[in-house]
Amino acid sequence: MRLGTVHQVAVHVFKESVRDRVLYSAVLFAGLLMAASFLIGQLSAGQDLKIIKDLGLAAISLFGVFIAIFIGIGLVSKEVDKRSIYALLAKPVTRQELIAGKFAGLALTLAVNIAIMSAVFFVVLTYHHWTAVDAVRRGWEAPAVDPRLLVAVFLIYLQLLIVTALALFFSTFTSPLLAAAFTLGVWVAGHFSADLKAFDEIVEAPAASALGRILYYVLPDFSAFDVKSAVVHGQHVAAGLVGLNVLYAAAVIGVLLIAAALIFSRRDFK
Amino acid sequence: MTSRRAAIGVLVLLAAGSAALQAERDRRYAQTTAGTRMLYLQSPAVAGRLALGYDALAADIYWIRAVVHYGGDRLDRTGTRRYELLAPLLDLTTSLDPQFRIAYRFGAIFLGEPPPGGPGRVDLAERLLLKGMAASPERWQYPHDLGFLYYWRLQDHQAAASWFQRASALPGAPEWLAPLAASMLARGGDRQASRQLLTRIFEDADEDWLRQIARRWLLQLDALDRIDQLEAMLARYRAQAGPPASWVDLIRAGWMPGVPVDPAGHPYVLSALWGEVSLSPESPLHPLPEERVR
Amino acid sequence: MVIRTEALTKDFTTGFAARRPSRALDALTIDVRPGEIFGLLGPNGAGKTTTLKLLLQLLFPTSGTAEILGRPAGDVDARRRLGYLPEHPYFYEYLTAEELLDYFGRLFGIEPAARRRRASALLDDVGIGAERRLPLRKLSKGLLQRVGLAQAMLNEPELLILDEPMSGLDPIGRRDVRNLIARLHGEGRTILFSSHILTDAEALCSRVAILAKGRLAAAGPLRELLSEQVRGWEILVRGLDDAGRAALSARGLPAALLPGGLSQILLPASSRPEPVIADLAASGASLVSASPQVETLEDVFLRRIAAAGETAPGDLA
Repeated sequence: MRLGTVHQVAVHVFKESVRDRVLYSAVLFAGLLMAASFLIGQLSAGQDLKIIKDLGLAAISLFGVFIAIFIGIGLVSKEVDKRSIYALLAKPVTRQELIAGKFAGLALTLAVNIAIMSAVFFVVLTYHHWTAVDAVRRGWEAPAVDPRLLVAVFLIYLQLLIVTALALFFSTFTSPLLAAAFTLGVWVAGHFSADLKAFDEIVEAPAASALGRILYYVLPDFSAFDVKSAVVHGQHVAAGLVGLNVLYAAAVIGVLLIAAALIFSRRDFK
Repeated sequence: MTSRRAAIGVLVLLAAGSAALQAERDRRYAQTTAGTRMLYLQSPAVAGRLALGYDALAADIYWIRAVVHYGGDRLDRTGTRRYELLAPLLDLTTSLDPQFRIAYRFGAIFLGEPPPGGPGRVDLAERLLLKGMAASPERWQYPHDLGFLYYWRLQDHQAAASWFQRASALPGAPEWLAPLAASMLARGGDRQASRQLLTRIFEDADEDWLRQIARRWLLQLDALDRIDQLEAMLARYRAQAGPPASWVDLIRAGWMPGVPVDPAGHPYVLSALWGEVSLSPESPLHPLPEERVR
Repeated sequence: MVIRTEALTKDFTTGFAARRPSRALDALTIDVRPGEIFGLLGPNGAGKTTTLKLLLQLLFPTSGTAEILGRPAGDVDARRRLGYLPEHPYFYEYLTAEELLDYFGRLFGIEPAARRRRASALLDDVGIGAERRLPLRKLSKGLLQRVGLAQAMLNEPELLILDEPMSGLDPIGRRDVRNLIARLHGEGRTILFSSHILTDAEALCSRVAILAKGRLAAAGPLRELLSEQVRGWEILVRGLDDAGRAALSARGLPAALLPGGLSQILLPASSRPEPVIADLAASGASLVSASPQVETLEDVFLRRIAAAGETAPGDLA
């Protein structure tokens, strides 16, 4: 696998994504939502900082997933559908390099988008801090401009990378629509997978609880990346938890990308 | 072809690795992740709208979390068992699915349970049951549970009797409810009435956890009976031979064959100073119901 | 040998639970020699595109082998030395033609200065002017075809594989592409192209292969396929009077009357035209033309296709 080639593909993916209007709409919406959260916060009698933080992190997360799925599907599925892949595969690029490059390109696109959305988020928070009265500030569980929020954002980014890898994986062998549906399905299921683990404490049939446990390990567990609540309440997030999440995300992404490369490299393009 | 096989090998390794990492992460950080993630939605109204029509399913999920949370805190030897999330989780469950009978029952029993077995919040239990009654006024279980709450936790026999009376008038109510209400009104809160009530609950219970806790209460009543017996015995002994230093004195004097144990197998504690018998704090039946508080 | 296939076969399983695979290509064995223009001909669905895709490993063969530039099909290093134009090319929506060539140039590892130079020259070559700065999604089919040609030539390839290079082009465009192919041939490159337009093939190719229903119906130098022998003569005269007509009939040579006052006389290959012409002149008719009838590629094509139609490898029993 030649890094130079992977790099070229990644840069191309970034360029294409950046020009996609979908991206702009998503970022714009996120920005608007954050501005709106400021207004909503005014109505909530004292809980405004929490609501601004909650909404901001939720916006980054939701729009990030939207971008990851939408553009992630386009990476392979749409390209195969539209046949622009024929000319590309006649060039000295292996199919594995293609998958790696596509993933890297989208990871870069997501990083830039998250950075922009986070910057807007912090601007809103800074404004809120300036306009707040001292007495109110003392009542806050955590400061308005709290660097720990970046930990939550970072974990959101890891989740998005997993979603991207999922989208890429599904689009190597299904149509764009199905790939989007499957990716969304796994994302939703992954948020509830922790409850699957608790099955054996509720359900009496050992077969069902065994199945629940297996599903728990097979589905990516997204809820553990969700430290939004903790951070908003000013609680400490252990470095070890972040570290383990990074390793876990890396392992899951590795599995998905290798599987995608294996499937893609034996695929017929009719 | 071999590079393909190598890739498959790496894939399997990574998959196993991810499962292992997941297990390790949960082992180390389950508390933080569990507590924070379970209650992201504070408001039942919001939860209802967000559930997008899958209310019942969402209710099930919150129900599972409520039970796991209760069980988790109950088994947790290290942390402070505050059961903080139990009421909100049950509130969410019953808001999403107002007919979720079991959730109301569960809350009624365990929210009122004093520490360390529960948060000891009778007020929250009552609120939950009133909510259930408002949602399903025709169900006899809710006023019955309210009656139980007033009787067992608050020792308010009048109120308890009136709730039982009300319950007995509802369709499907068991025939023993009306006579129970009447006897409660007449005799007040004696142990026989308690035993009667709890035995009924135990026999009628169709949930495992309800049967278990009813059994536990019955054993507590047995312990109370035994303690009365032992104290009576102690009084006679004191009159004869002066206050005993410990059970050994009584055993040596031939008044009992061995150290008396409670239904859970823990020896009763003799307070030599006061001549009182009480339940060992280590016993699973501890603490005994309110009527024995000094 | 620039390209060599050996019993190359491709089956497709149709449908979700298909038990009957359909054979798109059946044991194709051909070769393409260095420096020649090779035509892969056949009606639609004959397997031309399938063959080209197998050569580029866009499809994987069911059995048989294919070699390009001495390497197995799909080899990355071989791809450095070839250029490919897909049928109905489609590229990236948001890139411009210039940016596309720049991207592909980077994949080839061409230095920036050389990239710019070549891209600009190639776009000129294929006749793309100011459109080169428009997003590709705004280009017409014909312009996209030209961009496709440009990107196929970017790496100055030894071998060009072109799938229906004339499709979507108007007659002027087609002439330009023909000239381009001829020029590339003059530069010593090998060209394999597929087409169902026979006149283009006749004009350009030194060797051809004719495919029908997945099977090779005919292959070899064009000259050999078209019989050198004259099959007959066609004589056109004006002003043939009844006497002359009657005389011809007596010889067993009916004269057909064509619009515009022309009469057409067809002679079998065995007869020489000269005596007939002399007679016609003597009878007062004026000669318009006398031309030998040679079998066209179309005749060969139709004949071989029809023969292949007897036994169709399309379904397996």
